[in-house]
Amino acid sequence: MTAPVLAVHGLTRRFGGVTAVDDLDLAVQPGEVLGVIGPNGAGKSTLVGLVCGALSPSAGTISLAGDDITRLDAAHRARLGIGRTHQIPRPFARMTVLENLMLAASAAGAPGGRHRSRDRRADCLRILHRTGLSDVADQAAGRLTLLRRKRLELARAMALKPRLLMLDEIGAGLVESETRELVDLIRQLRQECESMLLIEHVMEVITACCDRTAVLDFGRLIAIGSTKDVLADPAVAAVYLGTAAVDHAGAAPAAEAGRIVEAHQDAGSGLGMAAVDISDRTVRSLVDVGGERDGGPLLTVEDLTVDYGGLRALRGVQLTVGHGETVTLLGANGAGKTTFAHALAGALPLAAGRIRFDGRDITGLRPDRVTALGLAQCLEGRRIFGSLTVEENLVLGAGTAAAPARRERLDAVYSIFPILAQLRRHSGVAMSGGQQQMLAIGRALMSAPRLLVLDEISLGLAPIAVDRLYQALSAIQASGVAMVLVEQNIARGLSLAQRAYVLSRGEVALAGTPDEVSRNPALAALYVGEAADR
Amino acid sequence: MTAPDLLTRAPDVPGPRRLPPLTRELGLLAALAVALFLVPYVAGEYVLQIGYLVLQLAALGTAWNLLAGYTGMVSLGSAAFVGIGVYTVAELDNHSSLPLPLAFLLAGAAAAVFALLVSPAMFRLRGLYFTIGTLALAEALRLWMVNSSLFGGASGIFLRSRAPKSYALYWMVLGAAVLATAVTLVVLRLPLALRLNAIRDDEDVAKQMGVFTFRTKLIAFSLSAFLMGVVGGIQALNLGVVEPYGSFGLSWTVDIVMVAIIGGLATRTGPWIGAAFAVVLEEALKGYAELHLAITGIVVLLVIRFAPRGVRGTLTARVRPRASLTGDRGR
Repeated sequence: MTAPVLAVHGLTRRFGGVTAVDDLDLAVQPGEVLGVIGPNGAGKSTLVGLVCGALSPSAGTISLAGDDITRLDAAHRARLGIGRTHQIPRPFARMTVLENLMLAASAAGAPGGRHRSRDRRADCLRILHRTGLSDVADQAAGRLTLLRRKRLELARAMALKPRLLMLDEIGAGLVESETRELVDLIRQLRQECESMLLIEHVMEVITACCDRTAVLDFGRLIAIGSTKDVLADPAVAAVYLGTAAVDHAGAAPAAEAGRIVEAHQDAGSGLGMAAVDISDRTVRSLVDVGGERDGGPLLTVEDLTVDYGGLRALRGVQLTVGHGETVTLLGANGAGKTTFAHALAGALPLAAGRIRFDGRDITGLRPDRVTALGLAQCLEGRRIFGSLTVEENLVLGAGTAAAPARRERLDAVYSIFPILAQLRRHSGVAMSGGQQQMLAIGRALMSAPRLLVLDEISLGLAPIAVDRLYQALSAIQASGVAMVLVEQNIARGLSLAQRAYVLSRGEVALAGTPDEVSRNPALAALYVGEAADR
Repeated sequence: MTAPDLLTRAPDVPGPRRLPPLTRELGLLAALAVALFLVPYVAGEYVLQIGYLVLQLAALGTAWNLLAGYTGMVSLGSAAFVGIGVYTVAELDNHSSLPLPLAFLLAGAAAAVFALLVSPAMFRLRGLYFTIGTLALAEALRLWMVNSSLFGGASGIFLRSRAPKSYALYWMVLGAAVLATAVTLVVLRLPLALRLNAIRDDEDVAKQMGVFTFRTKLIAFSLSAFLMGVVGGIQALNLGVVEPYGSFGLSWTVDIVMVAIIGGLATRTGPWIGAAFAVVLEEALKGYAELHLAITGIVVLLVIRFAPRGVRGTLTARVRPRASLTGDRGR
């Protein structure tokens, strides 16, 4: 029997008092694609770091094709054929995209002689073509948008021609057609790499690509087996999948599905999240009374137009949000959703248009003034202050509010996110992704906004964490705060909305109630069409 | 940088660059070298002395640029390498009769060996810590040179041979500047350049992409030290008497940084432009020592604030407008 491509034994890594990976035994067989799933903070990325040599283990061994590589440094491991991508892309920002690949390729001198430089270049250009980056080959990598940086991560790892390719959440933030492209690409790559290890929250990618799947929780392996069996396991549903289990365990009988949901609720309340039991009164104290002066809408956006360099990112966008209303903004990647959120906050200069908030013209106002008026933002990427505790992060969000008001808002936020109350003395970044996202939303709520703009809050979160976030959002909704929800996931986005807008190429292509929007046949075309010509 | 940063401000990265063929650039350099070589036949003593200072700083700035600009290792230890070069030539002059070019090479080699010896300690430090570490190293070496009696102590050493004529010194330092520039031009076209840049942009990831980072950094560090040592060696002849305060003085380090920043980090001609600028400014303000320092400080501040890519980098940006974020969509 041939040795597994990758085998780890008793692998342990502690960070201070936290054990991120705990006595882990895992093997990736030749020709296999192994999926690794688990809640945020389960130790998945740490595992990748340990295997590629970026982190050194506290205990345990790692071997590649039977050879112990525990003591080798990252460069040697890369040359032996371990390639990885980073969850948060880390391109060589001041080198061109092609140079990023050429660097990796120059280390890919497989035994049996080095490639000649011209062959290497041709190879790299081929990889760029396959990953859809040909048009930016000569651009500085630091100028790529987030999603293209993720592609670059993949392309660069491919240029290394690894035996074991480890992909860390490269599916996050993709729309359906892009996900399909990614699945196709991974399937092709199977022919080229000996084995792959795939960390992913996008279940379509896991089900379509992985032969076996391992589930981590708190650094421990809680399940491993064929992907189908693992995803149908109620224990996995409880810690990770949440309601998403119902979609993927299609074979499970209804009774079992019911059990899964129950199990998930149990697990949720254990973490102090699922049971969002808040009296309306507590939460309502977040909303400053005194709005609703005129009968008009809370927010009116007229003819909003924004340019980036030579490109028109938004073109004459019209949008209104009523008092206490939840409006969802959908659209493919690059449609202009995040630009819209930034423009609302005053973080971008407008080429044309007006923004009225609560009867006042806020066009061109500085971001801090906009926030002070009651329009709060929760930006893509969370941006937690790592050197501050959870509570300090929250207090910072209250701005100049007086101490009693601050206390009240803090209580309200803790009532929506009880887990934050438990973690109040922890550092803001020593939390899982889902908890960080809650903190980011909580911080935005601390300014007692009447309108909360939430940009892609579910990006990169475990399905169960997304469930919990949306439960909290409905609590916020019930408290009377109006929301603009920028979402990729159509079903999630529409679940809370009273009205929805779909952006396409910087323009409003569809608008209406969630029903009208989701039934409109144009919706799919808007998502797919735009993604197809990127 | 996170995604919103990308959206809210233009990322500060240079646009695409394509290097012209090596032969053309070396040709241009050779033409420049010939033109500068002829200067002593037409110019007077004063011009030659100014020329010496400009070329000396150009050579040192170019050597430092290799390290700080292309590899991202901002060293403040330049004075150590210059000083070692100075003392090597001084000692060789007094104790041997080696031909000068060989003495200069040995001066460079001594500096490079020193770089090699301290690299295990220095490379444990990253970023600002490396910067501070190299500064401490250079200061420690200076203090040792002052207090040890091994190389003449605080009073220094007289050189046995008489100082060469100023045109000869000018030619020597011209040679050093051309050598440093030629080395840079060649290195930029080797696969090594990619590795240096990768280390500059993200050392950990470079490692994960198979770059032997220690080895690669050592190449840049010792190459830069070698070139600085050569310039130091020439300076020994210029001085005639060498003492530790000046030879290992912090002003070398500061001048080099200033020249590179004003001219433009990670540009090939930047150090030359910065050197010319610095020396001309100093000459123009001769007699107002305090004013000179203040104005130089203001200039550096203004450059960092308004033209962080230096004179050269800013010129490039003006001439060739940056492509927009998605400017070549659909090409």
